Amino acid sequence: MAAVVEMSKVSKTFGDGTSIIRALDGVDLKIEKGEFVAIVGPSGSGKSTMMNLIGCLDRPSNGVVKIAGEDLSMLNDKKLTELRNYAIGFIFQSFFLLPKTTALENVATPLLYRGVHSKEAKKKALSMLKKLGMSDRATHGPTELSGGQQQRVAIARALVTEPSLILADEPTGALDSATGKQVMDLLTELNQEGITIVLITHDLDVAKRAKRRISLKDGKIISDTKGAA
Amino acid sequence: MNLRIAARLAIARIIATKTRSGLTMLGIIIGVMSLIALVSVAQGATSGIQDQFKGLGARNLTISGNTTESLTIEDASEIAKLPGIDVVSEQVSGNATASSENASTRIRVIGVDVDYETIVEPDIFAGTFLANTDFAQDSRTIVLSSALATSLKVDASIINETISVGSTEFTVIGILDDANGFGNQGTAYVPLQTAFRYFAVPPYLNTITVQTTSEELVPLVTTNLSRLLSSRHNITGDRDADFTITDASQLLDAIGTVQQFLSLLLGGIASISLVVGGIGIMNIMLVSVRERTREIGIRRAIGAQQSQILTQFLIEAIVLSLLGGIIGVIIGEIVAYFLATLGQWNFALSPTMILASLGFSMLVGVLFGVWPARTAARLKPVEALRFE
Repeated sequence: MAAVVEMSKVSKTFGDGTSIIRALDGVDLKIEKGEFVAIVGPSGSGKSTMMNLIGCLDRPSNGVVKIAGEDLSMLNDKKLTELRNYAIGFIFQSFFLLPKTTALENVATPLLYRGVHSKEAKKKALSMLKKLGMSDRATHGPTELSGGQQQRVAIARALVTEPSLILADEPTGALDSATGKQVMDLLTELNQEGITIVLITHDLDVAKRAKRRISLKDGKIISDTKGAA
Repeated sequence: MNLRIAARLAIARIIATKTRSGLTMLGIIIGVMSLIALVSVAQGATSGIQDQFKGLGARNLTISGNTTESLTIEDASEIAKLPGIDVVSEQVSGNATASSENASTRIRVIGVDVDYETIVEPDIFAGTFLANTDFAQDSRTIVLSSALATSLKVDASIINETISVGSTEFTVIGILDDANGFGNQGTAYVPLQTAFRYFAVPPYLNTITVQTTSEELVPLVTTNLSRLLSSRHNITGDRDADFTITDASQLLDAIGTVQQFLSLLLGGIASISLVVGGIGIMNIMLVSVRERTREIGIRRAIGAQQSQILTQFLIEAIVLSLLGGIIGVIIGEIVAYFLATLGQWNFALSPTMILASLGFSMLVGVLFGVWPARTAARLKPVEALRFE
């Protein structure tokens, strides 16, 4: 079976001529199904670029990125969007719930975009909110929810599409440490159920919760360690 | 995501931003309102005039002299001998200064014969029209148009009192109710022979009005009249006729043309405000796209296609303009109703006009919504997500 993420000799450059910036420089990486990977590094190390590639939001300048077996460079915008919808569940630092939209509608939205009937989408969304203990907040808008609750709704939205991997970008960055721990506990739990999780963070304490840590510096992988830290 | 969901999103968004949406729609509301109100005024006002003409003019033909000495009393008596003619009425006119105790004004005095009332059926506001006895005695009696009564600052109490016209005293026996007519400004009616004595030179007439025995005979009688007068006036070859024959259908055509022109003119002016309203929508939609850049980024990240973002914003613009259009139609019809009551013409809802207005406002939404919607759809997900 194909790896969830497969990168070979991946480079990503921005700008041109003399002011060229090499955000990723010859990266090889493989993430298998069921892994819990933290990608760490200081700002400017290429983390964000890595996230954009794994999240199918961008294509590499050189090399091959395969997500769920699909070569990103071979896909047009429409196919790339479809791949995001089917393969990736996004969790962002500032939650990024849709404004003025209830928790239930937020969770149902990715399903609506892939053409699931509204009634069916809401049913699935509600059961996902229930699973995360948020069903009593289904009709609340983002402004009526605490940070931790918003992140739970965001996680429900990421999970509802049954993606190949959850891509979490600093998921605890906007939360206090107690709430942050709860979110990390939840992610750990989900991983134990077999869900692949890729975590992007600069926080080493958060990274310790992952089973595998990949350190980036200047666009290169400088270490890749497995097992408890 | 189908259109229904996009429409619901758009409506939710419009409700969530009530004030802004309301102000944005205002342009369309005013545009559609003026479109409906102005066109209905143009149609209502002119159809009122049309109805008046239809009521009294279908069998009538008017022969006007192109110079003051074109038509004569003999012409009129020869015309009366033609077949298919019921009534022939002779009219002559002159100018004079009329004075009441309160005011004086220049007026047009029209001398009419006994048959004038039969053909024209004037509406009387107060008193009576010229009666048989007035014609028999060529009496110095006079009937005022309502406009003239206003100019002279007199009301119904002037009946049986006198005003002076030129240097002669006339007894006012009636005031016409002709407020909706036109061309009656400062007009007064006196018996034909009286007019000849004081204001005009016999045997010349200004107009001869003919009533045919039936409407179908109008074209035939027109031809016969033309032939008769041409031979009496020695009009041959390329000499231009010194008379003009008009029938009601020509007048109706003319009014119809005026109506069309007025509708187009007023509708055109209103359409400009509708287009301005559309620019308002475009402006707000562009601001909205910028403000919601991150929302667009989130939607793109979780799987919204460009076409779905385009649809969402386009529907939002269309819903805004269509909603504005619906409100505009309602207000416009109410305004049109009140104007109709005020102007005393018939108020009628025109489904064509309503549908056209709604269609037009929807078109405005599409035209001015496309650019903002395309801008939204073409945002790069990565950049949109990072937008602060």
